[in-house]
Amino acid sequence: MQLEAEHNAGPQAAARPLKLLGLALAAALFLGATSYQALSSGIEYTLIVSVFATRFLGIFVEAVPFLLLGSITSGLIETFVKSDDILRFLPRNRLGAAIGGAFLGLAFPVCECGVVPVTRRLFSKGLPLSMGVAFLLAAPFMNPIVFASTYIAFGLGPVFIGRIVITVFVAVTVGLVIGAFAKADAALKPVARGGGEDHSHADHAPPSFQGKLLHALQIGSDEFFEMGRFLILGSALAALMQTLVPQESLLSLGTGPILSVLFMQILAYILSVCSTVDSFLALAFVNTFTTGAIVSFLSFGPMVDIKSTLMFSGVFRRRLVIYLIIMPFAMNLLAGVLINLWLGY
Amino acid sequence: MSAVHKHKPPDGDKTVDWAKSFILLGLGVYLAHLILTGNLSNYINQRFAWLVYVGAGIFVLLALVNVFSGLARSPDGHDHQHYEIGWDILLIVSLPLLLGFLIPSRSLGIEAVNGGVSLSPVGVQSAAAFQRSPLDRNILDWLREFDRAVTPAEFNDQEAEVIGFVYREPSHEADGFMLARFTMSCCVADAFPIGMPVNWNDSGDLTAGAWVRVTGALQAASFAGEFMPVLFADAVELVDEPAQAYLYP
Repeated sequence: MQLEAEHNAGPQAAARPLKLLGLALAAALFLGATSYQALSSGIEYTLIVSVFATRFLGIFVEAVPFLLLGSITSGLIETFVKSDDILRFLPRNRLGAAIGGAFLGLAFPVCECGVVPVTRRLFSKGLPLSMGVAFLLAAPFMNPIVFASTYIAFGLGPVFIGRIVITVFVAVTVGLVIGAFAKADAALKPVARGGGEDHSHADHAPPSFQGKLLHALQIGSDEFFEMGRFLILGSALAALMQTLVPQESLLSLGTGPILSVLFMQILAYILSVCSTVDSFLALAFVNTFTTGAIVSFLSFGPMVDIKSTLMFSGVFRRRLVIYLIIMPFAMNLLAGVLINLWLGY
Repeated sequence: MSAVHKHKPPDGDKTVDWAKSFILLGLGVYLAHLILTGNLSNYINQRFAWLVYVGAGIFVLLALVNVFSGLARSPDGHDHQHYEIGWDILLIVSLPLLLGFLIPSRSLGIEAVNGGVSLSPVGVQSAAAFQRSPLDRNILDWLREFDRAVTPAEFNDQEAEVIGFVYREPSHEADGFMLARFTMSCCVADAFPIGMPVNWNDSGDLTAGAWVRVTGALQAASFAGEFMPVLFADAVELVDEPAQAYLYP
């Protein structure tokens, strides 16, 4: 992508046909899937596209304010926070860093769309991999706003407590594993890396407060474009899946202590609903699904879903993105099943 | 050509700057347009509308910042272009604008029913639903009442007046259809079709997906193989789609 192309014009010219091919493939996939749906259901093609547009815009409109807030937070961090400040307060050992990362959301209240640009910015400021990964996975839930919405929806019951315990446990574990086995240079895309290439904007941005603020907003708007494309592609993919895969078929399959958890997690991945509002959505499934499935839906959904997978790919290299999906998926599944067995389903 | 690190030629920067400002402003205008036309209710629960106000404001602010910084940039200025925003990114980010302005805004209707309409209520019982008088109850309220009831016969002869769209399946009897609505907790991502059974002799003449008001009385009967309260219609009249097409659990 353009990341490799930053230093000279050669690779960029070579990347252009690839981008064109990618967009053409996406368009072909869209046309193929919607046409198939129109033919198999007997519904007019324009109506299928209209339903797709409604679903796509719904997800986008609900998520985009959070991405904007996250982008601006990222711009403010870039402009006002010096790398030294962050490095000074960091826990020295990996476990401390991962645990700190899981609770960092209490200081940076961001949801799953906002967390990605903030994490990327913090990485470029020298945040260790284990802490950043734990923050990335935990922060969408571990913040005051989502605590409030979960509390309003479920009260202080097993769902709320289970959600906290599982989120922290999974985030810390995945952070530790990735911190132990991956090197930052190999795990992160060049834009997310700190070190020699870092332009410390906090150092040479305009000196006045207003100038800095303007600069932060400018960076925030670039960040919006950079991350917004992943949100938009992810929303489109989620909308397409919803238009094609019947929700009822998932619901009817999702019975029993294990399958119910599995299907709620797949549903969470496909629906890609923002973490600030997913508790209200989960309420809709309380009667249909096991408690373990509800908890797993609420813990796994904010960590990984279609749109955040695409956004992750703007920060991490592909192999790590795959680990970041599979590990939380497996651990949440296990936790959900254990809750079900423990509660005696 | 100067191969300065991360810096594109000034001409290219200017075009990209203007395109970015235009798209940001466009997205802000689009969100404001949704609020002003009321079309916002086609996409998200009104409870979260304030988020969209915030979003529209930030978009306009960022557009202004971009215009300002674009004008302030000197031709050979050493301003940091943080990421190289290429035409592909600009194209992808304009996708909501294209779909939002080119395709007429609609709420999810019968075409979006993918895999059947549920006869079970969604969400938890709200206190308000209990106090709602029977004639004011919507489909969701009724399904919750049915769910709560000990026996389907509990509602016999209870009069009801309900609005929804017509949904028919091959398994339905000639004189039966389902009166359906989508429920929505936060946004259309979680929209879910629910419906209550109606008995009406001329069911076959109704257009699938048409919005109707059904007045009649409930009677326990068999519907699609299940014994449950069925709304026996006295009248089925065509109505406009309600301003708020979805029900909020």
